[in-house]
This record gives sequence, C-alpha cells and structure tokens, in this order.
Amino acid sequence: MSSKIKDWLRQDRLPHIYCTGCGNGTVINCTLSAVTQMGWEIDDTVFVSGIGCSSRASGYISTDSLHTTHGRALAFATGVKMAKPELNVVVFTGDGDLSAIGGNHFIHACRRNIDMTVICINNMIYGMTGGQGSPCTPEGKYSTTTPYGAHEPAFDLAELAAAAGANYSARWTAYHVKQLSDAIKTGLEKPGLSFIESITQCPTSYGRRNKLRTASDMLEYMRTNALLLSKKRRMEEIGEEIPAERFTVGEFVNRNKPAMGVPK
Amino acid sequence: MKLIIDETRCKGCNLCTTVCPYSIFTEGKKLNERGIVVPVLDRPQRCTNCRLRNLYNRQLCGVCQLICPDQAISWVEETEGLTEKVVIEY
Repeated sequence: MSSKIKDWLRQDRLPHIYCTGCGNGTVINCTLSAVTQMGWEIDDTVFVSGIGCSSRASGYISTDSLHTTHGRALAFATGVKMAKPELNVVVFTGDGDLSAIGGNHFIHACRRNIDMTVICINNMIYGMTGGQGSPCTPEGKYSTTTPYGAHEPAFDLAELAAAAGANYSARWTAYHVKQLSDAIKTGLEKPGLSFIESITQCPTSYGRRNKLRTASDMLEYMRTNALLLSKKRRMEEIGEEIPAERFTVGEFVNRNKPAMGVPK
Repeated sequence: MKLIIDETRCKGCNLCTTVCPYSIFTEGKKLNERGIVVPVLDRPQRCTNCRLRNLYNRQLCGVCQLICPDQAISWVEETEGLTEKVVIEY
C-alpha cells in the first residue's frame, strides 16, 4: 500500500472478514486509490453503505461512515448531501441492496442527479445470506433459490442508471483494476450522480455453484467474457451475433446535466 | 524498493499469481502458522516497480497491490546496509 491509501484504511480492523478471494477488497483498493488521487481530506468525506458483504466496506475506511438499513443507502446519502453539500459522499452498495430492495431509491437518485458517487459491487448473488439469486444473477446460473438455473433475465444496472438520468455511468470488473480506478476517479470528479458498477468474484457463494470454484477461475471468467462497449456496438452494426454469456464493460454515459446538491 | 507480502493479512487466494505480468508470485507449498498457504516471491528483483519506481517517481505497474483483496502486498524502502570497519588481524 502506498502511504496515502494506508492512512485511509482502519489498520486496527484489518484483516477484514471477507472470504478468501473475495473481490470486495479489490474494489476498496481501487476506490481508495481514486480518492487519494483526488486529494480529499478524511474529515470532508463520508462513506455510506447499505447491508451485505459489499456494505461492510465503509467500516474499514477511516472516514465518517454510515452503515444503513437494507437498500436505503442512497436515501441516507441523499440526506447527508442535502444537509451538508460541502461533504464528499461516496456510496458502497451491492447488487441485491441496490437493485432489488433499494431499486426505487436507485432510480429516483439517478433522476434527481444528486452529487454523489455510487459504487455497486455486483457479485451476481446475495453473498452474505447464503447465496440466494439476485436480480443480477445471469440467466441459467445456479444459486440456492435458482437450483435449476435462473430463468429470468438479469438487470443491466449501468444501462438503467444511464436511462434514469445519472450524469456518469460505467461498468468494469475486479479484473480490470486500472480501468476501474480511473472510472471511479472520473465519477468522483463529476458533479451529479456517478454510477460505477464493478462485477466482482464471489467464489464462496456464486463460484462454487457455477463451476468456478477458485477466485482465479472467476477472474479468468471475467477476463474472457468482458466485452468492450465500443466493440459490442461495432459487432451489432455488422450484424454479428453476441454470445449470451458475454457482458459489456466500459463507459455507458458521460454527460453534464444540471445536478442537485452541488456546493456553490 | 522491496516487495513484501504481509503474512498476517494474506488469505492465500493467489490472485497475485494470476495477474502479475512478470510471474514474480508463485503458489506456496507450506502452510504457515495460521494454516494458510501464502504465495512465495520468485526473484522479486524482476519487478519494474521495485527497480524503477524511484527513478520515474511514480507507480509503474502495481496491479498486484490493487488486486490484492486483503491489502497484504506493499513496497517498502530498502535500508542500505551499515558500513562496518573490517579489522584485519595479522
């Protein structure tokens, strides 16, 4: 760790409770790398999180943090930002927390375009409570509640954020660490709601039910199946078929709509 | 600069062995006192960050550090050995 990132971590709380190979730690590293590049002060930053494995992240960071009720991280963060617009608000949330229980809060936070950065750690499952299927479980994949394979199509959160009105929306994976930290940095710089989705590995709950038992296997899966957005559009133009297994990564939207809660 | 793995934090997921472009990390063979197989360093002097970071004054690769979920990989400044006067006995 560079000395700066070290200052932002609560050293007394490490090692954290995450399972071996869990990608949440990687996303914390990328976020703190971006935050330290911004030159923010510890006292002026607030990390807000909901419930779940991903939402434990705010507890390992030495800023003020809010560990809120399930799905309501964005609602709490909106309150923080509107009360004190000068604070820098970063939200950690998981796919179940954001898209299932907190789905409506998410859509309306994007519509209001409140000045905060939302980092969604999408491990495609409810990891902490035993591996139930979430709205982001890909079709055909197994979980404890989809023992014959998920029948429903998965949510595309980055597209949803773009459609709902967020100023910035991007998706990367825990394998693409450099791109992920760059995307988070762009999101932190941008006024208005910035949404960064990171597909991460959950070898314990998701991987072992889907023949990806180790973290390295899951990383290999993400490396081979990530499809750059520009390449996908090119493939669509020439009418090439995109395999169902592949997911898009890249910057979905980057615009400057009027935002709420920006300090004057 | 010197690459180190913090054995008190490492959980042995071997993500560093997967991503390192110079294959510096190799899977360990022995359990440590916590019952975890910590990766071992194979000739870490090949790491560009160890050799050239001070020269270029910025992080040159550092993917292992970013991807390590347990914040166990770091670089430390190497201290130069103290000079010792050699007494020649006749």
